[in-house]
Amino acid sequence: MGKWSRRAFIGAGVAAGGALVVGVAVRQGNPVDKLGPLLTTGENEQLLNAWVKVDTDNIVTAVIPHVEMGQGVYTALAQMLADEMDADWNKVQILEAPADKQYVSDSIGRDFLFPDLEVPALFEPTVAGGILELAQAMGLQFTGGSYSVRATGQRAMRTAGAAAREMLVAAAASEWQVPTSEITTADSMISHAKSGKSEPFAKFARAAAEQSLPAKPKLKSPENYRIMGQSKARHDIPAKVDGSAVFGIDADVPGMKYAAVKAAPVVGATVESMDATTAKTMPGVLQILNMGDFVAVVADGYWQAQQALNTIEARYSKTEGDSLDHDAIFARYATYLDEAGEDGGDMQTEAGDVAKSFAGAATKVEAEYKVPFLAHATMEPMNCTAWVRDGKCDLWSGHQAPVNARQAAADAAGLAFEDVTYHNAYLGGGFGRRSTSDYITMATRIASATGYPVKMIWSREEDTAQDHYRPSATSRFRGGLDKDGKAVSWDNIHTHLFDPADAPTIPYYNIASHKIRKVDVPMHLRFGPWRSVDHSQHGFFIESFVDEMAHAAGKDGYAFRRELLAESPRHLKVLETAAKMSGWGSALPEKHGRGIAFVPSFGSIVAQVAEVDMSGPKPKVTKVYVAADPGFVINPDGFTAQMESGIVYGLTAALYGEITIKDGAVQQSNFHDYPMLRIDEMPEIEVALINGDHERLGGGGEPGLPPIAPAVTNAIFAATGTRIRELPLSKHSFA
Amino acid sequence: MTTARTLACLSVFLLAACGADPAPGPVEQIIVREPGAAPAVAVAAAETNADAPASALLADGKAAFANCSACHSLEQGAPNGAGPNLFGIVGAAAAAVPGFAYSDALKASGITWTAAELDSFITNPAAKVPGTTMVAGAIADSAKRQAVIAYIESATVN
Repeated sequence: MGKWSRRAFIGAGVAAGGALVVGVAVRQGNPVDKLGPLLTTGENEQLLNAWVKVDTDNIVTAVIPHVEMGQGVYTALAQMLADEMDADWNKVQILEAPADKQYVSDSIGRDFLFPDLEVPALFEPTVAGGILELAQAMGLQFTGGSYSVRATGQRAMRTAGAAAREMLVAAAASEWQVPTSEITTADSMISHAKSGKSEPFAKFARAAAEQSLPAKPKLKSPENYRIMGQSKARHDIPAKVDGSAVFGIDADVPGMKYAAVKAAPVVGATVESMDATTAKTMPGVLQILNMGDFVAVVADGYWQAQQALNTIEARYSKTEGDSLDHDAIFARYATYLDEAGEDGGDMQTEAGDVAKSFAGAATKVEAEYKVPFLAHATMEPMNCTAWVRDGKCDLWSGHQAPVNARQAAADAAGLAFEDVTYHNAYLGGGFGRRSTSDYITMATRIASATGYPVKMIWSREEDTAQDHYRPSATSRFRGGLDKDGKAVSWDNIHTHLFDPADAPTIPYYNIASHKIRKVDVPMHLRFGPWRSVDHSQHGFFIESFVDEMAHAAGKDGYAFRRELLAESPRHLKVLETAAKMSGWGSALPEKHGRGIAFVPSFGSIVAQVAEVDMSGPKPKVTKVYVAADPGFVINPDGFTAQMESGIVYGLTAALYGEITIKDGAVQQSNFHDYPMLRIDEMPEIEVALINGDHERLGGGGEPGLPPIAPAVTNAIFAATGTRIRELPLSKHSFA
Repeated sequence: MTTARTLACLSVFLLAACGADPAPGPVEQIIVREPGAAPAVAVAAAETNADAPASALLADGKAAFANCSACHSLEQGAPNGAGPNLFGIVGAAAAAVPGFAYSDALKASGITWTAAELDSFITNPAAKVPGTTMVAGAIADSAKRQAVIAYIESATVN
């Protein structure tokens, strides 16, 4: 990772007002001809991808190509840029990048697609160009995958900051006629100690832009970090406290009307007919639309639209999905898994001879686990304001992939990408839900029909019933232990694989023979990434089964995992830190239990110990100890908050989260039947952060989630002897 | 392994990128009325009101002034609040309402309150007059600002 960041490509130029603009861009003169159109922006090709500018008043502005959905990305990325630049943190401003393909991150695309690729320098331009092309094709101006800090921050923001600093220093050295080595920078000032000269960055901004571009800007090593590693206050918080923060749902467009929508309850069905007799007479109603797959009412106000919509009787077409219900879905999973048998399905990873090691095992363990569909339940329901007129489209919304949103609107309105302007706002929760563009498309279609601007807002009921769900899944394991209780065989087959591909794999556990397979099961529902994506299922599956193997081996879960991690010191340290924090092994009151779980994901290593109190009618999680190693923590307070919120989100799902299907449709509708964790159920959380490898950063948004469910269910086993093999916990009786 | 990962990742993002079906128009579109048109029963009344646009602006301004009224009165002779009474303010010199303790900054500003001056002041008071004690009440929305100014302007001795 470090290698690539030092080879990032630099572009620079002078912007209006004499500001210095530095960007990390694909090198000019790229030999791949077809990339040309992707890289040129018009007259000044050097202005690709601006990430930072220095204004004449010495304000440093960091341009952030990611969206803020509560995760603190603006602050963390600005810290990375400002530190490398030696900027005065108090004079750093933040600007979200426009939804433009120029801000598509090739570093993200590259890491997603070819994480282990080593590229000889000679071929770099071609490879980088190819990746940029792919990234652009896929619209990867994307916030998700816990990627912002570890990819954009590490490769682009730091490089841009370091390059800007070097160019400013070179400009000052030239004017002062002194060697660059004698010049120091700090707090947005450039100084030369020998002559006593000291001037603000701004004085050299214009001259800096004329300096040659550093091919390999020198990045700081951790002992020189001054802003990275500090808990700088979140940039987005004041506006969220005083209410001035603008979210997608706050869009205010002159002449705007409101739309309420109701989609066919079974995905794939169409609206055959609708009876709008009453709706037509209701106050404020402007239009009633049968859009084929959904009904919309447009009115002067949202409430009027929703009230009128509620009176509409619609008939829907029959689909194959109509017959499906919860039991049928899991029966279908079982059928596919049975058919795959011992050797079928798609092999994901294999080592050793699993059949042989299992046959020869002294102790055999088998188990099957199930997890349900989950909704995202963002606090801000899906919404989008669209205005389609005169061959142009304007959009106002919050979306995790603004370029995708823009493309979706262009497709829906039949316009070119360039004719769509996308105005992104804060996201009132993303969690992966806002990486899909269904709600953008719907709003654009409505606005295309009306011709005037329309703000479409989903009701909570629509939001719950028409989500792109975290897939439900069944996972089966067979494990073998030798006579010393050492794990020697691991055989796993599960339904569904979404992303990331490493979620079901356990390369950090030393088990000589292992085989991991998946089977795809057709399903009419829409799936989408859900915070931590496949790690949310496989964290529970894997860490439950490891615990079952430990129990079969007559060992406790911590000791058993220590043996499995004996050859991975960085992983082991995280596990040991969490165990020590929790006082692992010390006595607990009766009906209390402690459980441990360990899940590396998105480049970060996380271990959690949960304590549960099982003396009441349902599990009460009292305490969670977290140890996390994301390589290097850029903002400790922000990272800790992400661990905590990952636990809140994951514990909500473990305790209650379940979307069920009846007659092909989702049965849940609102928070009464899809509950959230309440404040009195919130465990105390202690977080320890470990900086294990500053060259290999991991993410923060998701890795706190996967360990919590198995930590809790393993704790329930410790307290009660009951092994939970199906989530959520609300399905089980503990009375 | 690398291949499997690449394809899996591609599938995620292709879903995201290409999830939208080609967008069909409405199967059925019932237009009850056009925006701005009053409901059928009220049309006659609306059409007879020749001052409708101006009235609408003032009505908007009155509604928007609700935020201002926490500090300012527009009623002739009403006492100053946290901010001065604004009756007849358009055309007056800044910091001239009797009995109000103005900031030195506003006293020294030399502003005469025209609609344009009010517009730039209300957009961002602290930027227009650094040191002003008007720390709340900025209106970012231009249309709303114009309506408020029209409403303030209407509060004067004819």
